[in-house]
Order: sequence, then C-alpha cells, then structure tokens
Amino acid sequence: MKNRNFLILLAILLVAGGTLFFLPNDEKKIRRNLASLADYCSSSREEGSIETLKKAALSAKLCSNPCRIQVKSFNINRDFNKKDISDHILMMKKMLANTRFDFHDTVIDFPDDDRAEIMTTLRLEGKTKDNRFTDAYEMNITVTKSEGDWFFSSFTVVEFIEQ
Amino acid sequence: MSSPIIRRFFFPSLTRRYLLRLVVLGLTCYLIFGYLLIPLRIQGHSMEPTYRDGAFAFCWRPQYLFSPVQRFDVVTVRFTGRSVMLLKRIIALPGETVEFRQGKLFVNGNQIKEPYVHHHSDWNLAMRTIDPGHVYVVGDNRGTPMARHRFGQVRMNRIVGGVVL
Repeated sequence: MKNRNFLILLAILLVAGGTLFFLPNDEKKIRRNLASLADYCSSSREEGSIETLKKAALSAKLCSNPCRIQVKSFNINRDFNKKDISDHILMMKKMLANTRFDFHDTVIDFPDDDRAEIMTTLRLEGKTKDNRFTDAYEMNITVTKSEGDWFFSSFTVVEFIEQ
Repeated sequence: MSSPIIRRFFFPSLTRRYLLRLVVLGLTCYLIFGYLLIPLRIQGHSMEPTYRDGAFAFCWRPQYLFSPVQRFDVVTVRFTGRSVMLLKRIIALPGETVEFRQGKLFVNGNQIKEPYVHHHSDWNLAMRTIDPGHVYVVGDNRGTPMARHRFGQVRMNRIVGGVVL
C-alpha cells in the first residue's frame, strides 16, 4: 500500500514537472526567438546567396518596426526599420562569412506584461582562410509583445571597458 | 588474473554506500568546478605568450575575498555571466595614472617593466587616471594594433577571480 501511494505521488510529480517543463510561456518564446536570431545571423561557408537573403529577412521579421540600435563606440544610436535591419544583417553576414553567433548567460526580466528586458552575452566564433577568431559583447535587448508575439525593439551594446 | 581489489575498483557492486559516495563526489565536483575553481578554455591571442590560444587554465574565485587586487595579476573579467569571460592582466590600480608611450607602459609617470610582454608595439595612449572602484586591464599580446585590442578600465565587481595554471 505504501509503495502504491509512493508511485502515485511520483507519477503526479512527474506529470506536473513535465507539464511545467513543456508548457509554452513568454520566457521560452523569447529564448526561442533569441536562438533563432543567433541562427539567422550565423553563416557557414556552404550557405548560398538565396539562403543568406532569406535568413537576413527572417532576422528582420523578429524585430519591431522601428527597432532602436545603440553602439556607443561606433556612434550608432538611431531607429532602424525592417528594411534597414535586413540590409545591415546581409552586409554583416557577407563580412563575417563562416561565423557562428551564440547567446550565453541570458537573463530575462519582465518589468511589464508586454515588455521584457534581456541581458545577454553575444559570442562570435569564426574562421577565415588561415585564422580563427572569437569575440564577445554584452548586450541589453528590449523585447515588446504585439498581438501575442514578441519582437526585439532595441539592442544596446554594453561597453564596460573604457580605454 | 586480476586481483579482487582492481576488479572491485573497476566493477564495484552497487551498494547503498557506493551510491552515496558517488552522489557526494558528484556534488563536490559540481560545487568546486562550478563555483570555486572554474575551468577555462582559452580562445584568442590577446594574452599570448603567457596564455596561448587553445590552452587550459582555472579561475580561482576566492582569490580576492580576503586580499586586494595587485598590479600584474591575471584575472578573468565577466560579461553577463561566467560562461564567457575576458582574460586580462591588471596594470594599474584605482587613483593611479596610466599611459603608453611607443609601446612602453607608464604608471604614475614611471616606466614599468613588463617581462611578460614579448611582442613589442608602438602603442600610444594619453595619460588617464583610473576611477575609484576600477582597475586598468590589458592583454600581454601587444603585437596586435591598439584598435583591435580590448583593454581599459573595468569596475572591480566585473572581476570574477584570479587565474591559476
């Protein structure tokens, strides 16, 4: 009898845990969008021109219109529309061919129901013909909810090392 | 024929005591290598020749719990977490001035010998004073152009720990 009760309790816990784990929520949606953005921005040597165009357009689709981008060291602080974003991502993918983008140590905070703040580390790892390079940037990203979907509405590069 | 001791070592019987030891060992490793002595895989050339690309080291987090940071310490500087960190050397402390003249380091106006620097450079950086609560960090590899090298003053709370190995 004791064993039976224990098994029932374990089953309930497993079902509850599984439901919580697989149930979609806002944080999971945002994390999925972030992973998709990293994937679309990444390029491989085998990637064809059409795929590159498609990925740039898909990246822009994840962003709101307009989307604010701030990079102090490059004197960038303005709104970009979807076309601008797609064009810039295309240019970046050409410049950083064979480069992998990844987000690490991501923390998501929800100050409002329809707004989230992401703190994350963007890591780039690429290969040129005879060299390998890595780089990393700390980023603050704002995400806003519109008609049930989450869109990136601002990207800020945090420059914590001052020369 | 293998001895029973060796056989027991490689093929232990799954007793309760053995499983408990396994759990304790796993937890201890998780705590030590997750929080105290973080393994580092070095990627990049900014600390060459002291730490080469692909080398392995550890970040000792308690290093600055009871002692202050010192000039020439090699430290890890965090971004948002501890998965990706910068490896740099402290060259100036709060309140000091730092300057590069033709690749030579000057702190408080005095030239500092840097035996760990093998690639000499022509870096020129005007004198600046380190803010309170900050340290000035730079990589050992001065062979790269200054514009491509990430260095400067960082808040001390960004320093995760010292580097060992």
